[in-house]
Amino acid sequence: MIEVRGLTKRYGEVLAVDDLTFAVRPGEVTGFLGPNGAGKSTTLRMILGLDAASSGTATVGGKPYPAQPAPLKAVGALLDPGAVLPGRTAYHHLLALAAGNGIPRNRVDEALAEVGLEKVARRRAGTYSLGMRQRLGIAAALLGEPPVLVFDEPLNGLDPEGIVWIRSLMRKMAADGRTVLMSSHLMSEMELTADHLIVIGRGKLIADTTMKDFIEAHSEREVLVRTPQAETLRPLLPGGAGVRAEDNHTLVVTGLEAAEIGALAAAGGVELHELSPRQVSLEKAFMNLTRDAVEYQAERETGR
Amino acid sequence: MRHTVTHLGPKAAKGKLFPRVRGRRPASNDTRTSRATFWHSLRAEWIKMRTMRSTLYVILGALAFSMGLAALSGSSAGGEYARLPPADQAAFDPLATSLRGYLVAQIAFGLLGGLVMTSEYGARTIVATLTSVPHRARVLGSKAAVLVGVALPVGVLVSLAGFLIGQASLSGAGAPHLALSDGAALRGVFGGGMYLALAGLFGLALGAVICSTTATVTTLFGVMLIVQAFAPALPGAVGDWVSKFWPPIAGGRIITAFRDPELLSPWAGLAVMAGCVAALLAAAFIVFRERDA
Repeated sequence: MIEVRGLTKRYGEVLAVDDLTFAVRPGEVTGFLGPNGAGKSTTLRMILGLDAASSGTATVGGKPYPAQPAPLKAVGALLDPGAVLPGRTAYHHLLALAAGNGIPRNRVDEALAEVGLEKVARRRAGTYSLGMRQRLGIAAALLGEPPVLVFDEPLNGLDPEGIVWIRSLMRKMAADGRTVLMSSHLMSEMELTADHLIVIGRGKLIADTTMKDFIEAHSEREVLVRTPQAETLRPLLPGGAGVRAEDNHTLVVTGLEAAEIGALAAAGGVELHELSPRQVSLEKAFMNLTRDAVEYQAERETGR
Repeated sequence: MRHTVTHLGPKAAKGKLFPRVRGRRPASNDTRTSRATFWHSLRAEWIKMRTMRSTLYVILGALAFSMGLAALSGSSAGGEYARLPPADQAAFDPLATSLRGYLVAQIAFGLLGGLVMTSEYGARTIVATLTSVPHRARVLGSKAAVLVGVALPVGVLVSLAGFLIGQASLSGAGAPHLALSDGAALRGVFGGGMYLALAGLFGLALGAVICSTTATVTTLFGVMLIVQAFAPALPGAVGDWVSKFWPPIAGGRIITAFRDPELLSPWAGLAVMAGCVAALLAAAFIVFRERDA
């Protein structure tokens, strides 16, 4: 359980994170979304005690991160996967982290095996590909077998196989009853992985809801209509409906259910070749919601 | 409900006891975690120190340089000794002649100390380090302890190697030389080791404050060599003060056997250096504690 209350980070005049309050619950994967510069990383860094909050609190399992008796056993975090000394082996990188928390040596080998790096563990990390470094970062997060996992952009640099692996890892961690918070820019992947969403923009909380509710609330449902008589159908639809022609034979209708359109077409004797509600993606819902925040960001740079 | 108005972050490390708000915990996970201590952090820093490749290079470099310089200056100073006027012969210092390599060795040790911090900022592993050990004072404290644990014995070794080679080549040139059993010799060897360990801590404190390896090395050169080289050129009182009290110059008195009444005594000089390092470390602790990682 991660609890954030009134969390605020101010850099001079700029509010990078503005009075955020939310909770991340165990047993599900929570996606953390926001446009670039929305304050996601800053929020995660404050949760992990890396940056000091200007005001407000963040606790994990009821305690601020720095007060955890053995932090790696409380929270596993992946923040900066490139961060390994190039001359040091993956094994020694993890061994030092484990030692700092009194985690036994055999757990290092286990974590390396869990991410599939056991064969290259004695190689210098400087020789690793981006994907291998990402896996090493995840091994570090798993070291203490923590009940809470925080992943900032865990999919960067991973190949399709790696992305599927991360997805199943997160799902499994959540199914085990762990708290999983992850940020990502890959909306399609987020849609497949997360159950719950926390969306921020300009440092403020925009949404804290389930994936399903989020998509429903932030997208207009569209119905695709394919007909050779598009020009005949068009005047038959009520004025309140939005109609957009994709080509001579295809209309995209908003504000009407598929059944209503079908009934109107039948009544008007219009021949239909296709009538299908369009699946609205998280990506589209997210774009609709954050468009204002993104535009604001483009106008004036705020924070990081 | 919890009543928290605390300031989150490094300062929360002191830890207030909040009533636990516990969610469903994974059945497989043992929540009774043993508390991580300074000793754990010390082990972590020792692992990092010995698996940082620069550690070995810096140590070998310092050793090679101090031995090489001791051999060269021993034979050349020894050869010139006979031609010196009596006053200079009286001031001839076989100890300092053999340990002159400390001038460069101190830069190497300062660099090693600096790298202990700056390598973490350069590779951004500081994030992993501070998520593993959020207590900033514990991180810096264990880094300093491990550094001293390595730098002190290696520093004594570097001094000892320089001393033995330097005295051997002085003896070979027929100039006055010392045996290890002489009081001044032991003071020079062990004190020289202590000085090099202090140089390491000096670098550590600099590295913690300025984070960049390049800037740390530049500063080390400036503080330890350039001021030293230009001190005689400084005007009157300023020059005298710098020659007497500038910490690396004062600290360098520890390797001298000739007592110059214008300058500090060996131990007083080393104490000036130690005081300077202590002050710088205190500043480093404060900066490191307050700064966002």
